[in-house]
Amino acid sequence: MLAAVALSFSGFTALCLSMEKHYIELLKHKPSAARRRVLRWGGWALLLLSSWVAVKNAGWAMGLVHVTAVYMMTAVVLVWMLPYQPRLALILAALGLLVGPLNLSGLF
Amino acid sequence: MKEGFRQSMSWLHTWAGLIFGWLLFAIFLTGTLSYFKEEINHWAKPEVPVRSLDTAASLALAQGYLQVHASGSPRWFINVPDAREPVLRVGWQDPGKPGRAGFMRKNLDPQTGAEVQARESRGGDFFYRFHFELQMGYPWGRWLSSIAAMVMFVGLISGIIVHKKLFKEFFTFRPGKGQRSWLDGHNALGVLVLPFHLMITYSSLVIFMTMVMPASIVSAYGDNTQALFKEMFPARDTPAPAGQPAPLVSLPSLYAQFEREQPGARLGRVEVLQAGDVNARVVMSRHNGDQVSTAVGAARTFDGVSGKRLDSGTATAPMVQASGTFYGLHMGQFAGPWLRWGYFLFGLGGTAIIGTGLIMWLGKRQLKHAKSGVQPMELRLVEVLNIASMAGLLLAIVSFLWANRLLPSTLLGRSDWEINSFFLMWGLALVHAALRPGRKAWAEQLAAGAILYALLPVLNGLTTDRGLWRSIPRGDWAMAGVDLTALATGLVLAWSLHRLHLKTRQPARRTLRTARTAEPIGTVLEGDAR
Repeated sequence: MLAAVALSFSGFTALCLSMEKHYIELLKHKPSAARRRVLRWGGWALLLLSSWVAVKNAGWAMGLVHVTAVYMMTAVVLVWMLPYQPRLALILAALGLLVGPLNLSGLF
Repeated sequence: MKEGFRQSMSWLHTWAGLIFGWLLFAIFLTGTLSYFKEEINHWAKPEVPVRSLDTAASLALAQGYLQVHASGSPRWFINVPDAREPVLRVGWQDPGKPGRAGFMRKNLDPQTGAEVQARESRGGDFFYRFHFELQMGYPWGRWLSSIAAMVMFVGLISGIIVHKKLFKEFFTFRPGKGQRSWLDGHNALGVLVLPFHLMITYSSLVIFMTMVMPASIVSAYGDNTQALFKEMFPARDTPAPAGQPAPLVSLPSLYAQFEREQPGARLGRVEVLQAGDVNARVVMSRHNGDQVSTAVGAARTFDGVSGKRLDSGTATAPMVQASGTFYGLHMGQFAGPWLRWGYFLFGLGGTAIIGTGLIMWLGKRQLKHAKSGVQPMELRLVEVLNIASMAGLLLAIVSFLWANRLLPSTLLGRSDWEINSFFLMWGLALVHAALRPGRKAWAEQLAAGAILYALLPVLNGLTTDRGLWRSIPRGDWAMAGVDLTALATGLVLAWSLHRLHLKTRQPARRTLRTARTAEPIGTVLEGDAR
């Protein structure tokens, strides 16, 4: 479950950064088109991976319910954090990229 | 043409939302509380002891009790304790008195089998029933809440159409900007939690489908709606009592068989038909928390004398699977602690969407009259109803809980008085809102709410031996959870009171700023204002 949450949070953050407006807001410079493309595809891939983890853990019925809840929760938390704690959101997203795979590989 | 369509959708969203907003707010908030129905039930009956769970032992005690007190009854029900509500409940139909009046219920101590003399209270069941029956007689409340659900559905769909920049503003929330922030919050919660809102609204229509969607049922089943029910609730062909006595099989031994056949399955409810007769039947249902779908068929029927399994847990029809899945998703019985809190928070999100919508409707129109200082009658009416339906409902809920602890347990019609205190407080809040100026009324009701919620754990600690300092070390999280949630609610109300004071202190600057920032939103929701 932790992996699904971490991957989903990082995925939404990447999708958010793939929008020029938010990228400039958060990172204070203009992104290149290539970087935005990477962020967009990466974000979708992370979300997909998150749902795969949930379904693998809990089966189709429960897994789909879990991952929908995880998506909604992480997206709300991210959107709420952005105006108040933008740096913390970015740090958490980076941490998510680390925690997700580590949790998946069974290290913790 | 396209703009015209969006404008008419905006009109629909605005006015349907206003007319049903107050009712929907109450339906959503009490429905959200119902995700913790079992915990609130447990909180409302502090006399019920918390024991370690032992299903087989509980069944033996229940059987013993019912054989003494309910012999000759055509129907027994046993609900075994679980972690959320650790009480052993038994019920039976009094053979002398047919109908509802003859249905007896008792709570038993799962360790001794003795009757628990708990205070009379509807507990969480009150909020649950209110959520779809609205304290009206059958079927009016159900009709009204079904109509409200349809309006909610219309509100969601029209809201998506009106919201032009769904993807562009997916991650947008700009706090501290008056009306702009309310709209951002309304949109963000609406869009990000949309899967939940659509699921909860659509499934509520499925639950009452024979009432609200008869056309598709008639087309598939003809006039014979009985055929639908037969498919949904397959009849158990229980033979008539033979009038020939035979001892009932031991329920713990049947439970052992149930466990053997379905490893890992939890037992939910046991129904015993014609106990003591040679034609007795025992039906064991799985715990609702075991699977998403609540479709029946997971129940096992046994011969009540020999203990032989009678059916094979037949496959359910696709329609039943589908409606059972929606039903299960709506109720969230399957949700573990994390998901249950998710349900609760998403439900609060839905409540917040309705609340922010009501506040924006009024705020936008009040701005137009800000300069003259005179409010038209209809705006004042909306203001009063806004305050009473939101702050007032919060007060009503907490006064139900206070009444649960303060009313003497010997009071005649005690559980009715708990409900009366809910409605009395709600009525008082309405009168108060009508008598006081808008902002003062908000502030005073929020303050009263903050105090009553924050002090609920103290009241619980003073009137029972289940205060936080006892319930937490004992691991009684159902009890502690209600206390802690009340405390958190009190803090949130105090915080919103603080925000309201900040706003009141600098009203001139604030109005100017909102007036300026309100301009761009106008383009989205303007059609309705004129």
